[in-house]
This record gives sequence, structure tokens and C-alpha cells, in this order.
Amino acid sequence: MSLPFARIAFRPIFSALLRQKYAMTMLVLQIALTLAVISNGLFIVTQRFDVLQRTSGIDEAHTFVLTSSGFTENFNSQTSMQTDLAELRKMPTIVNAVATYSFPFSGSSDWDELQRVAGSNQNTVPAASYKLDEHGLNALGLTLIAGDNFSPSEVLWQTESNRTFPSVVIITSSVATDLFNTLDWSSVVGKTIYINEAHSAVIKGIVKQLQAPWDPVGQIENSIIYPRVITRNSARYLIRAKPKMLQSTIAEVEHYLGMSNQQRMIRKVQSIATLKKQVYGPDIAAITILLVVITALSIIAAMGIAGMASFNVLKRHKQIGIRRALGANKTDILQHFFAENILQTTCGVFIGCLLAVGLNVFLVAQYSLPKLPLGYILLGVICLYLLGILATLKPALKAMNISPAEATRSQ
Amino acid sequence: MFTYYISLSLKNISRQKSLSLLISSTLGLGIAACMITYSLIHLMSKDPLPNKSDRVFHVQLDNWNRNAAAITPDLPPEEVTWRDAMNIVQAKQAKYQAAQAITWGMVTPSDKNVPPFLGIIRATQGEFFPMFEVPFLYGQGWQNYPANEVDYIVVLSKSTNQQVFGGINSVGQTLPMLGKLFTVVGVLDEWHPSPKYFDMSFGAFYPPEDVYVPLQIKAELELPHGGNTNCWETDLGDNYQAFLNSECVNFNLWIELASPQNKQQFEDFLQGYVAQQKTLGRYPKAINNILLNINQWLAYKEVVSSDMYVFFYLALLFLLVCLFNAASLMSTKFTAKNNEIALRRALGANQQAIFNQCLMETVILGCSGALIGLVLCLFGLEGIKTLYPNFSTFVTLDMPLMFITLALSVLCSVFAGLIPSIKVCTLAPAGYLK
Repeated sequence: MSLPFARIAFRPIFSALLRQKYAMTMLVLQIALTLAVISNGLFIVTQRFDVLQRTSGIDEAHTFVLTSSGFTENFNSQTSMQTDLAELRKMPTIVNAVATYSFPFSGSSDWDELQRVAGSNQNTVPAASYKLDEHGLNALGLTLIAGDNFSPSEVLWQTESNRTFPSVVIITSSVATDLFNTLDWSSVVGKTIYINEAHSAVIKGIVKQLQAPWDPVGQIENSIIYPRVITRNSARYLIRAKPKMLQSTIAEVEHYLGMSNQQRMIRKVQSIATLKKQVYGPDIAAITILLVVITALSIIAAMGIAGMASFNVLKRHKQIGIRRALGANKTDILQHFFAENILQTTCGVFIGCLLAVGLNVFLVAQYSLPKLPLGYILLGVICLYLLGILATLKPALKAMNISPAEATRSQ
Repeated sequence: MFTYYISLSLKNISRQKSLSLLISSTLGLGIAACMITYSLIHLMSKDPLPNKSDRVFHVQLDNWNRNAAAITPDLPPEEVTWRDAMNIVQAKQAKYQAAQAITWGMVTPSDKNVPPFLGIIRATQGEFFPMFEVPFLYGQGWQNYPANEVDYIVVLSKSTNQQVFGGINSVGQTLPMLGKLFTVVGVLDEWHPSPKYFDMSFGAFYPPEDVYVPLQIKAELELPHGGNTNCWETDLGDNYQAFLNSECVNFNLWIELASPQNKQQFEDFLQGYVAQQKTLGRYPKAINNILLNINQWLAYKEVVSSDMYVFFYLALLFLLVCLFNAASLMSTKFTAKNNEIALRRALGANQQAIFNQCLMETVILGCSGALIGLVLCLFGLEGIKTLYPNFSTFVTLDMPLMFITLALSVLCSVFAGLIPSIKVCTLAPAGYLK
């Protein structure tokens, strides 16, 4: 009983490969470069994919937004907003609605500096500001993990230039942690914080998650909610429909609002899912481009490997016949070609690991990408071995079936 | 001799059709990947105003609070305040100067068949148009207005003119908007500055605005503050005028100098201006003015995202793989011809002749590779347009890019075929003649 690979003669394989130095070098270099690109590419793809997968804290699937722009002289923005919202909240297909200019993926909002202790030398925590009424939490689909929602009497209806500041706020758990360095949410409720060194407010509640509408500072989980509604001629409503009702609700709401008040127009009706796709467009593009490159590269590399193996089978027709005639069985021939392939891949992978790390070091230095975890190189290595074996399969099978009688034929 | 090499090469290629096609496609694929990514970088970083980009400058002044930075680590804000915009423009120290900001408001055409719409408005001083060489279809812009004087005039974009007036020459017509009656003084031609260097607050490839009005209209009608608005003072007061008098920045300030040599002079003026404002109690920080010309500004704003460079480097490696692949295919191709070449050598062809002929073959393969590459490039760029809808106005395969593609492909092909060609022409013919 012998081991499955005991009959493989490595020395002849080596000398056969060394006889075709040029072709061998080209192939090894292809494998090496492919490994470098695949491992780095897959790493970037997974990173971008993680970004796409992260949740915003709101009920993305059932929510849409629209803008109502009044354009006549006597258009009253506050009464219009109040009537609209009251009517929308009565609709049977709607969970809740709120007027807000910012929401996750809306792309703009103010950022405020929060402090536990006031003073320019104290620690500050940046947070994106949301202005919502008491229906806001329900309309966005946020989870309150401590404290209470705003009461209707706390909500300030203001024009843009009115700067009266609310006395209570709701913050996200991430802000609570950053400010008070604790995970005990209820201990944070009731504490006073200072905003932009000018105002103070009491924390009334804490929501689990609410991402910022945009992220200029790398703190996307930091948001603060004020009980305010700013009235402008152009108002934006965020509407949360009941499950599976999104499309019909959009049509219904658009029709209703369009007809109910002729002094304004309804525009920019978009579902959150669409907006998310727009915001993450560059990430989706990067994933697509990188996957196309990785696939094309794998095909090219596989073709190179298959081409070289076929060429060898063709060239060694006679020799294979002789080996078969001298007693080598079909498995031996098959093993010979696979062993040859594995040897090539190993050489390529060895150089490829160095190239992959080198490429990553370059990308880290130039474009501040994160460091490549070794797991991705390992993944690339496994892919390349599989690719090599698959590419060798057809030529090797062809070689296996060469008849021993070939030995007697002259070339 | 040259034509003989060509005809012989073509004969060889047609006899090894599939192998030749494989070589060309491999090259073409690599070239296409490289060219698609390169063209993105090339097009995104293209000089938007080539004949004067070195003398059109973006002005930044650091009016921020003493212990804070407008932009980390310690950079001045990218916009200026209303007061500074007005003062510097009125001082007329440059050939052209214009402050501008984005805003919006309802446009309500008097023709009842045209529905009212929310117009995205650029409020700007008139020298904006000649400074940025904005093309006019009809009429013209306006002169910079003095600080407290303004007419209700408007310049429309081509598409807005189409929408409101059906594309006719609407100069002199009136257009009700923002609750007032405006007179149309000009209509722009197609204009898609990409990148939109003069105001990138909504992104570098955001479409230009529908409507242009004099900057002072923004103050007069108290129009909303679009784009980036940043304030550091905390007690602003409640009315619109308080905003205009505050340290809030919202206005993009650009100037054009008569020649790049005048930059020092203008910098001195800015230095003097800020020093004078300091005596009025403004500008608590040390003087930190930044004056960047268009290309410096594009680099400062990193208009070409690092993604693009990463794609480009990966595509370069991809091309290298294709190159090595093509090289081994070429080696196979020439080796298969060993007998024939040996015969030609025996009949008197020297090594040089064989080498030239192989070289010719690689050049032809390179050309067909370029062709395949160009076709793939066109498809690839279409794909890019779907992936990045913002880029669709400027992504095209221009002449220089096509030439680069051709040159690169031939170069790659020759490079891939070089060693196999040398190998084949240094062969000892005797062994193959048996």
C-alpha cells in the first residue's frame, strides 16, 4: 500500500519545467500578479459590501419622502404643513409621517458640537442634528431604549430665523457613550448637555440607532434630535407606510397632496431605498468594477494555465505514449500534469504573496486604505489552486487517454 | 521588403486564426481595462479652462474663531462671508471678480401651460460670466452691481429657456419668479462644466443651475442659503440681515488676474484687507489667506477620488497579466513556425530578416488588439456611465485617448513578442530541417 502521490516522480517534472524557462516564467508571473490583484480586490469589495450592509436605524424598506413647495404669495407654510401631516397620519396605509429636511441618506444637515461640561477647553462630541416633532420617532421607525419621546407641548414650530432653543433633546446611544462613557442608558436620561457652547438642554430619551444624513467627520452614528419643526415654503415630508403598502401609498399620497392644495407642487418623491442606492452609488460602482476585473483576470489566468498545459500535452504526445508503454497507468499521467500545475501555482503563489503585500503597502501609503488581513491572501491562494486544477483538468484528461501505442509512432 | 513582411505576417496570422485572435483579444482586454480607468482620471482632472486656468483664483480667508478651525487641521473655510465678498469685489483689485452662491425659489411662468417649478438659482455677480467663459446663446450677462443697487434681471440656462419659452430668443421677455417680475437678459448655450470647479458644495460633477440672478437679489429677497453654510458665532440674531453681517461663510469668491505675475500683488492686497478688518475687531486668528488657481483648487479638493487611482493601478496589473499571457501565446505561435523559419534561414534569410518579420507580426497583432480594446473601451465607458450617472456628461473617448490606446497596444504587443522573436531568430536551423 502506498500513499496516493508516492508514485509521482518530481525530478522529471522539475527538469521538464526547467526546459521551458520562458513559458514557465510567464505563467508564474501571471499567477503571482493575479494573486496580488485578487486578494487586494476582494478585500476592497468586502469592505464596500460592509458599508452597503450597515443599517441606518430607520425603517428603510417602507419609508419614502417628498417635497411640497408652495409658490403663491398667500401660501401659509405652517398651516399647510400641519394640515398635510394631520391628514397623512389619518390615512389607513400610513404608519406615521413627519416633516423633516434631514433624514438618513438625505445628504445634508447641520452638525453640532455637544459637551458634557461647557467651555472651549472641554471635550466635544460632534453630532448631526435632526429636527422632528413628537411623531418623528415613530415615523422614522426608531427604537427608544431609555427615557421618553417628546410631548406635543415641547415641540417648537419655528421659521428659519427663529433661534429659540428647545429645552429637551433625544440622542443616539453612540452619542451617549461618547459623552458619558457609559452603557447604562437610563443613567444618562435627565442629564444636561451643552450645544455649540451656547445652549443647554436636558436629555429626554436615547434611541438605539439613527445614522447621520451625511458623514463629513467620520461619526455616522452620532445624531441628536431636537423637538423643532422649521417651516419653509418648501417642506419635506417623510412618510412610513405599512408593510407591503409602499408603492400604493406613494401613489395615493402624491395624488391626495397634489389635489388638496393647489398653491403648491409636489416634487422629489423618492423611496429611501432609491436614495440609499444613490448615496452608495460610488460603493456599488467600486464593487462592480472590482468584481469585473477579478473575474476577467481569473479567466485570463485560467486560459494561460490551460494553454500551457495543452501545449505540453501536444508536445509530449510521444513521451506520454512511451511512459504508458513502460507501465505507467492512467492515474500516473493525470497525476503528472496536476503535480506540474501545483508546482507552478506554488511558485506563483509564493511570489504573489509578496506582491499582494507590496501592493497593499503601496495602497495604504498612497490612498490610506486599511491593511490587508492575511486571510484574504489565503483566500486568493486557495482560489488560485482551484483555478489551476480546473484549468488543467481538460488537457490532463486528454493526456491520460493517450494510447501506449503512440510510443511506436514516429513524430 | 516591408510589404513582403506585411503580406507574410498576414498570411501567418490567417493560418493561425484562433491563436492570433486569442493574442489580440488578451491584449485588447488588458488595454481596455487600463484605458477605461485612465480615461476617467484623465477626464476628471482635465483643465476646465485651459487658456486661463493659471490666472483664475479661488479666494479663501480665515475669519474663524481663535481656538477653532473651519476645516481640520487648521485650514480657512472654502467660502467667504457676505461682507468680505462685497468688500473684495467692490475693491476691484483684479481683472474680474465675482462672489456667488447657490439658492432656490419658485419660478412661475406667466404662460399657464408651463407649470411652475422650483428653480435652482445661482446668485452671482456679473463678472462670473466672462471669467468662466460661460457660453451665451442669446443676450449677455450683466456688470457687477454696486453693493446696494440691483435690477430684477435673469439669465436662463438653455434647458430652462426651452422649458419656459420653448427655446425662442427670450431676451427682453419677463419672467415672474420669487414673487417678482424679472427681465430675461441672456440665455446660456449648453454648458456642463465638469468638474463644476467654481462651486463643488454639492459634488464636483453636479449639474449647473437653471437660473442666474445678480447676487444682491439674494439679500434683497432674502433667498435661502444653499450650498455650504458654516458659522462659528453662537448668538446670531434672528433676521436675515444678521446673517449677512455675521461671520457665516456661504459665498464662493473667485477672481481673474490679467496675468499670473499679478498674484503677489493681489496677495498683498488680501493681506492688507484682512489686517484692516482686524483693526475692526474681526479675524481673531492669524492671517491665513489661500489663493489657489483652478488646477491647484481641483487638486486641493481631491476631485479625482482615490477609488479611481486604485482602479487604475489594479487595471495596470491586469494589463501586465494580459501581457505575460500574450507573451507565452506568442512564444507558442512562433515555436509552431520553427520548421518554416528554419527553412527560410537555410534558403538565405538572415537573422535580422526573420526578426523584422516577427516584429511586423507583433505590430499587426498589436493593431488588431487596439481595435478590440477600443470596442471594449466603448462598452466599458457606457458601463461607467450607468455606474456613475453624474459622469455621463463628460465621459467620452476623445482623440488623445484613442491614440494612447493604439500606441499602448502596439507597444505591449511588441514587448510581449520581443523575447519569443529573439528566440526564434537565434535558432539553429539544422535541427528542424531533418
